[in-house]
Amino acid sequence: MSNDPFQLKPSEVTNEIWMRYKFLIFIGSAVALACALVGVAMILYNASGTALLDLSRPGYQQQREMIEESKQLKAFEPTGELDQQAIDEFRALYAERTKRAAEWAFSDDNVISDEELGIAETSKK
Amino acid sequence: MRTASIFISLVIALGATLALVNIQPANARALERGILTSEHIEIIRNNCGQAQSIMTQLHKSDQLLRVNQGQIYESITSKLMAPFNSRAGLNRYDTSQLATITNNFNNNLNDYRDLYKDYDAALQKALDIDCRNQPVPFYDSVAVAREKRQAVHDKIGQLFDNIDQYEDEFNRLIEEGPISNV
Repeated sequence: MSNDPFQLKPSEVTNEIWMRYKFLIFIGSAVALACALVGVAMILYNASGTALLDLSRPGYQQQREMIEESKQLKAFEPTGELDQQAIDEFRALYAERTKRAAEWAFSDDNVISDEELGIAETSKK
Repeated sequence: MRTASIFISLVIALGATLALVNIQPANARALERGILTSEHIEIIRNNCGQAQSIMTQLHKSDQLLRVNQGQIYESITSKLMAPFNSRAGLNRYDTSQLATITNNFNNNLNDYRDLYKDYDAALQKALDIDCRNQPVPFYDSVAVAREKRQAVHDKIGQLFDNIDQYEDEFNRLIEEGPISNV
């Protein structure tokens, strides 16, 4: 044990550091926590496939304008009488929705055939 | 000293194994189709820049398709099939067949989401390859992306089959009418 009356005890040193840097420690912890949470969010964003549906990224302006609003897709009422009027309404909604689905159907795989991409053996150099 | 050399040998062996595991699928694919001729590799090397720009456009247009398709398929099940099943059930129609078809549609819709995710990753991989320096891996990755796109296309076919089945069952049910009181 030192007899120096001016030497601080270890607990007093810790206290001193805490008092002196507490603002910086708070800011640093907040930034570190925010970075960790953003990292987790980014992992979830990519792993869940949400990134694939996100057309708000730069370079997707044209595609963004062509998105169909899901709010415009009317729903059929789950309760009530199933009379002729309701049946006709369902038929009309179903036909309209099927037609829209067909409009956005995926083309066949020819679009990335070797020939289309110009990388077939018979393509010109 | 001896422990250190054993450790280094183990690390090298592990690295070599991982490298082999990584390389094998690409070579296997090249072998499946037969070895590419040097002329063909040259054609790929020369034209792959243009191919990648076509694929970039396709990537963007497919993402738009995916968003719109997803919304429409989702609305078919959540805004039409499920509410109709519920209303028909409340009106004493036998909806067991409709429920089965709706369930199949939902399962296919989940598969479609997963398959599209795989396709998107495969296409992105083909776009990320430095095709001028790696024409064969590029060619292989295009083939993989093509297979994955075909899988998405086939799954959409199954979704449309479910849509048709539901319509047929709906018509049959309306013709048959509600279950009579016993």
